[in-house]
Amino acid sequence: MTRNRLYLFLFLGLIAGYSYVLWESYVRIFNHPFTPCIFKNTTGIACPSCGVTRSVLLLMQGGLTSAILMNPLGLVVAAIMAIAPLWLLYDVSLKKNTLYNSYLKTEKVLRIPWIAILLFILIAANWAWNIHKGL
Amino acid sequence: MDSQKVDMFLMTNAKYFQAKHLNYIRERLQVADDSKWPLLQSADLKDPTTSLIISIFAGSLGIDRFIIGDTGLGVGKLLTCGGLGIWAIVDWFLISDATKAKNMEKLQMFL
Repeated sequence: MTRNRLYLFLFLGLIAGYSYVLWESYVRIFNHPFTPCIFKNTTGIACPSCGVTRSVLLLMQGGLTSAILMNPLGLVVAAIMAIAPLWLLYDVSLKKNTLYNSYLKTEKVLRIPWIAILLFILIAANWAWNIHKGL
Repeated sequence: MDSQKVDMFLMTNAKYFQAKHLNYIRERLQVADDSKWPLLQSADLKDPTTSLIISIFAGSLGIDRFIIGDTGLGVGKLLTCGGLGIWAIVDWFLISDATKAKNMEKLQMFL
């Protein structure tokens, strides 16, 4: 993946993510039971990242503990959504590659076997917790 | 490399690459040294059909992207329930080409 492709992709992803969170925060008021998750709609059980939107919304209201209890991955997504736009703007305006380089470096780190296994176990444990919570 | 070997490689491995790259691969292999042959055989090429099947069944967990080596995109897909379901569906149509492009990247190292 080239630098410009990644940046365009990230830009579109951020727009989609922000508009979805905004839309969801309005819809929540009416307690609408909508979920876009294919996995949950077909199998009826939660996927590893079910509850991330709710977690981000809780975090926006300041409920750090309840956000972690909803889904700890929400913190990761919220951090990405907060940092990525600024970093993207910095790189694009100054014509630098810092975000792209750290993306490649992160990919390399994630491919180290013991880190990959550790993260896999964490995701699986979080998934089991999600199913147990009945998200 | 003699053209019989090149033809054999292309016959057995044509399905792993995009059609537009096949001519380029043939040209590069013909001028390549014979010592590259064992390396070519050991290249870890992924089958586009397998990744399509994985994409259909486990695409919303990002496993298809992890398998072909797009770790960053895989994490993105996993964290967002397959991009709110939309990216997962779009990837059903993109994944076999993405697999072929990744195979080309791997082969490029030997050419």
